[in-house]
Amino acid sequence: MSVDAAVAPIRRRWLGNRQLVVAIPLSALVLYPVIRPYDVYEHLVMSLALLLAIQAVSWNIISGYAGYVSLGHSVFLGLGCYTAGILSERTGLNPFLAAPVGGVAAVVVALLAGSVVLRTRGHAFVIITIALLFATEVVATNWTSLTNGSNGMWLPIPFWSNDFQYLPFYVFFLLVLFVTLGFSAAVRRTKFGTGLVAIREDEGKAAAIGVNTTRYKNLAFCASAFFSGVAGAGYAYLLGYINPTGSFAILASVMVVLAALIGGRGTLWGPVLGAFIVEFGNEAATRYGSNGGANGRVLVFGVALVLVVLFLPAGLLPTVASWWRRRHPTAVRYTDQAAALSDGHIEVRMRASSASTADTTRGPTTLLEVRGATKRFGGLVAVDNADLSVARGSTTGLIGPNGSGKTTLFNLVTGGMRADAGEIWLDQRRIDRMPPWSRGHLGLGRTFQVTRLFRGMTVLANVVAPLPDARWRTMLASAVRGHEADRARELLSYLGLVDFADEPAGSLSYGQQKLVELAQVLMMEPRLILLDEPAGGVNPSMVARMGQIIKDLNQQGITFLVVEHNIPFVLDLCDHVVVFSRGRAIAQGTPAIIRNDAAVLDAYLGEDWAASPEPAARAVPRSGDNSPQHTGAPPVAFLAGGD
Amino acid sequence: MLTLTGVVAGYGGGGNVLQGVDLSCPAGSITCVVGPNGAGKSTVLRVISGLLRPRGGAVTFDGHPIGGIAPDAVLRLGVAHVPQSHALFPSMTVRENVLMGGFLVRRDRALLRRRYQAVADLVPLIGQRQGDRAGNLSGGQRRMVEIGRCLMLGPRLIMLDEPSLGLDPQGLRAVAGLIRQLNQDGTTVLLVEQNVRFGLGIASRGVVMDSGVVRLDGPAEEIMRHPEIATLYLGGTASKPAAAG
Repeated sequence: MSVDAAVAPIRRRWLGNRQLVVAIPLSALVLYPVIRPYDVYEHLVMSLALLLAIQAVSWNIISGYAGYVSLGHSVFLGLGCYTAGILSERTGLNPFLAAPVGGVAAVVVALLAGSVVLRTRGHAFVIITIALLFATEVVATNWTSLTNGSNGMWLPIPFWSNDFQYLPFYVFFLLVLFVTLGFSAAVRRTKFGTGLVAIREDEGKAAAIGVNTTRYKNLAFCASAFFSGVAGAGYAYLLGYINPTGSFAILASVMVVLAALIGGRGTLWGPVLGAFIVEFGNEAATRYGSNGGANGRVLVFGVALVLVVLFLPAGLLPTVASWWRRRHPTAVRYTDQAAALSDGHIEVRMRASSASTADTTRGPTTLLEVRGATKRFGGLVAVDNADLSVARGSTTGLIGPNGSGKTTLFNLVTGGMRADAGEIWLDQRRIDRMPPWSRGHLGLGRTFQVTRLFRGMTVLANVVAPLPDARWRTMLASAVRGHEADRARELLSYLGLVDFADEPAGSLSYGQQKLVELAQVLMMEPRLILLDEPAGGVNPSMVARMGQIIKDLNQQGITFLVVEHNIPFVLDLCDHVVVFSRGRAIAQGTPAIIRNDAAVLDAYLGEDWAASPEPAARAVPRSGDNSPQHTGAPPVAFLAGGD
Repeated sequence: MLTLTGVVAGYGGGGNVLQGVDLSCPAGSITCVVGPNGAGKSTVLRVISGLLRPRGGAVTFDGHPIGGIAPDAVLRLGVAHVPQSHALFPSMTVRENVLMGGFLVRRDRALLRRRYQAVADLVPLIGQRQGDRAGNLSGGQRRMVEIGRCLMLGPRLIMLDEPSLGLDPQGLRAVAGLIRQLNQDGTTVLLVEQNVRFGLGIASRGVVMDSGVVRLDGPAEEIMRHPEIATLYLGGTASKPAAAG
């Protein structure tokens, strides 16, 4: 398409610029000590800036990508310091060699704290990280047999010649920074990284697409702690003397947060940029400020924070990036109605049934069974002792008036809410006590009534994010290229959205977002898909296409449970319809029966329903075999004629 | 009453979503905008209500140029906007939510009370559930409350972005009735609808948008009958089923 041809070169050139922008400062950092080997004071300041950069980049993994802000992150630096100090005192191990052990010590503490507080969502994490910082300082002060208490510990004198001064520290921190950046970059490229951003954007939705949020957050927190711990050992060596108040200072944590906020939280390079700005500002305040700079520093940080919040709420890098995009706008894409309506076909990835079909008590034909589920909101009983069963391979419709508890039932089945009573079985396994992601790993996928995409992520990242299973291999698979990304592109082109792959999902229109959400669900290789109003807000022609897609997938073995108010659509699509009213099923049967059921007419359709036969969904050809029928391509001439 | 001439607009760093939109709503009419997903229909409403500053073109309401002025100023002129996504405050009660709709006239308690009573009469659900938290309402019920809320300022033009979204058949009829009622009471209505049959069914004028421009406008009846339009955007609902085979 001509639009693509126009956009492609712009993108490529901009990518080239980006590599250049990164390469120049990095080579400058490497070359600096070679060119100016005797700038001793400058080397010290640069080493401290690199140290802050390491901390900010590692902070960014949990607090930038996953959005869980740690306000006491220097606790891990302190733990690294003390591990190196204790090891070198007891065993004579060089602090540089003790650095990995410092990282491990930090990970152990992070794991202990994280496994408690990261089970839940919300602000508890922020409080706990601050508490952790203070608690560790108290321990370091009072465990005198290990840490020598408030008297502090001395570290060995550096073994190298005086001529080198701070150079080895500079090199050490630069190396650790490179490794940390490499790790951070790798995280961004895997499904693990996509999952972390998903947690930041919408944790409930992330869980629904199979992201084990507890595990993800803990891993991110541990990784984040590790690199700070490693750097801490080098820091202790550089200082030569450590004590509890110095090693576990809250101001050091504030600097880490400030660095990441200034540079751009959640970006790869932002924390590095911010760290240099903050460290140089800090040094200037110390050097030129009165009173040893102590008060001056706090003032500078405070003013900097206010300025960032006011003028750079997203940080420097994102602000520059959006300014760049504004200067270099890309062409807007519109739904190619003709292409979107053309018939496509996709091979569904199927998983084997997890339960044996020999079980005769429930019969192998029932895939989903809800028994006596009840959910109350205060005095309101949204789902009232409801029973529902969905046959394997069927497309079951769930209709009912607004407020009859359909969406709540979906939430109970997928794990977004926990039922007050009742049981839910999927493929002969009881799932009502499982976390949402485990239900997803069993092959349960859903879409939402009001779409819940990760609006800041690209469309492609949105579709790559879901995880069909709990294996590490899946989690660490690349989200950028390889079979996962290929599959996502395949699904997007099936739904006519491949041109939008690199657009932020939030920029898509409502109906397009519905389709992206369907692609997300398909990425989970589901056996049962719960669709919450798939046709709502979708263009009528696309509704017909949606029906085709559902039928195509259904023929390949995916079972559907569909909530929808477009009755002709439901009656045409489904082979079994359940009518909900006041939190329970009041009628069920084939579409023909439902159409004429008096109770349904009364509760839902209204008596004048029969007078308005809408043929909206009947435009969908019923294909009886596997070869999809081709609806004639709509007149493309009309689309072209308007330009 | 409302006129858009050559309006060009886009989001953030993106290109122009609207590429010269010409549109008008005569006083007392119900105008329904239809078109494929992503054609820029909702963007038109955002430009009118001041949520998005147009990059070019003119928007006039009752002779006042309103292109690019602040949303609250547009509200004061009597233009109310009910956006597509659910926008109730979930932890407030239904009554509080509706009263928030009268935020601009909050000083005049008597007026506020009178308007609330009128709205509750018009939308019975609001009266029935006024003490419930909005978060406990179902999707369709929230829709009704949102529409009720936008009436608190006594608007002369209301813009509804997909009022049918998530409504059951009876709810749909209730909303259709509500819109007709408001229109009869003198309010001009601008709809964006994907449920074309519903939208054009209650509208007096239809507008077809595609790729950021208005393709066609005219009496709703005519739009429904237009053969190409029907095939491409209306799912063949109006005239005949989409050409098959």
